Amino acid sequence: MALAPLDEAITLDQLSSDPYPIYRRLRAESPVLRVASTGRTLLTKAALTKAVKDNPELFSSDDPKTPMKPAFRAHTLMRKDGKEHFVERKAISKALTPKRIKADWGPLYAQLSEEYIARLPRGETVDLFTDLCGPLAARILAHILGIPEASDEQMMRWSQLLIDGAGNFGWKPEPFAASDAANDEMDALFAELEPIRRAEPDGSAYALMLTAEDPIPMSQIHANIKIAIGGGINEPRDALATILYGLLTNPDQLAEVRAQDAWDKAFEEGIRWVAPIQASSRLVTEDTELGGFEIPKGDTVMTIQASANRDEELYEDGESFFVFRDKNPHQAFGNGPHHCAGAHVARRTVGKIILPMLFDRFPDMTLPNPDEVVWKGFGFRGPINLPVVLN
Amino acid sequence: MIKVTYVAHDGTETVIEAEEGTSVMQAAVSNDVEGIVGECGGSMMCATCHCYVDEAWEAKTGARSDDEDEMLEGAASEVTERSRLSCQIKLDPSLDGLVVHLPEEQL
Repeated sequence: MALAPLDEAITLDQLSSDPYPIYRRLRAESPVLRVASTGRTLLTKAALTKAVKDNPELFSSDDPKTPMKPAFRAHTLMRKDGKEHFVERKAISKALTPKRIKADWGPLYAQLSEEYIARLPRGETVDLFTDLCGPLAARILAHILGIPEASDEQMMRWSQLLIDGAGNFGWKPEPFAASDAANDEMDALFAELEPIRRAEPDGSAYALMLTAEDPIPMSQIHANIKIAIGGGINEPRDALATILYGLLTNPDQLAEVRAQDAWDKAFEEGIRWVAPIQASSRLVTEDTELGGFEIPKGDTVMTIQASANRDEELYEDGESFFVFRDKNPHQAFGNGPHHCAGAHVARRTVGKIILPMLFDRFPDMTLPNPDEVVWKGFGFRGPINLPVVLN
Repeated sequence: MIKVTYVAHDGTETVIEAEEGTSVMQAAVSNDVEGIVGECGGSMMCATCHCYVDEAWEAKTGARSDDEDEMLEGAASEVTERSRLSCQIKLDPSLDGLVVHLPEEQL
């Protein structure tokens, strides 16, 4: 069996500015492809990406070659497997279950959303990306985690610096210096809040982890909260902005979503269409085979969820935003043990609370110039601006 | 092949034939049975494959593990003594004819 073909033409800039035409070509021509600029083997078909995520023994998350460890100053659960991962994941996922999100936190999320939406000026052009999507995602997350004392600005800045550090594959010193400073700030706040959350547990992730019967080590409690900060703001922010773009550029679908109260469907379609997390890496632990090609031990494969979510084998016209698909088995939240821990939070907050509330307050909201919206990102993707007129 | 009947919250019954060794969740997902999501693929990470084992089959499906118990606590619908995560019930010939009831919602 041969190694997968090697591509030396695709650049990181192309993948960041407009990856979808490339993925469409790869699905048709080379669904297993070593892409030199990424240093990885890209998998672009849904069956391949799912097979990899569902087999954590062969395709490990425990990859020592990533800059995540220095960025978070910890070996985090994102990069662990098996029992070790399960124990740490369980410690935080108790704060994120469907029941807790719905019954215990629902009213608070609604109240926070109302406050942030009420601040938006009527009749003006507003960039919802900067003025709503980011700050509201940050505020909700701060409450879930049990650190509401952190400001929106801090949450968003920490999140971005952690992401920049974790993505610092060039191993430059500046991003790590910046993430170190953010880690210092976070550690100081967590230490300050610890006695308060212990004394009066509030059902937040921090309180639950601190007061668990058999708690995980404090270093891992901190690491878990940081992972949630790094992975819990940009995704709901980008999901919300993407769905708003999809609905505002398809007014007939928006009307139908309203008529059927199908906001949850709009949510699922938005994250299918442009998955906020587009790609993930897995380290190959034994020589194996994928799609007819030899995949050697030590190779890093990259599952391109973004592409799996438009796979012609699963979707008719997957390139288009279409809320009312018969089926939508997307992989935007991943599969297997590392399936997104925040999936329920995102569905509830963005899909069931924020979207209907926003269109209720501004029923005639428009996006006058969709061409002005800039989309960006290879690993993470979404619009980076969303200038709408609120009416 | 092992026969499994899924009874939806509204009473609709779906009968499927599944291979030995698959889980009640996998069998549902691969046969497009509505009402089982099973998003994490059976890693006990999502609590969206909740089902209630029919009274007649309770003894044969066995008891919940501690980890399963903890995950079930977070399920969206009411948890009863017959609640199971369907990813944790593996199908073998003793379960041929199994009946499970599905909750009102999984998310």
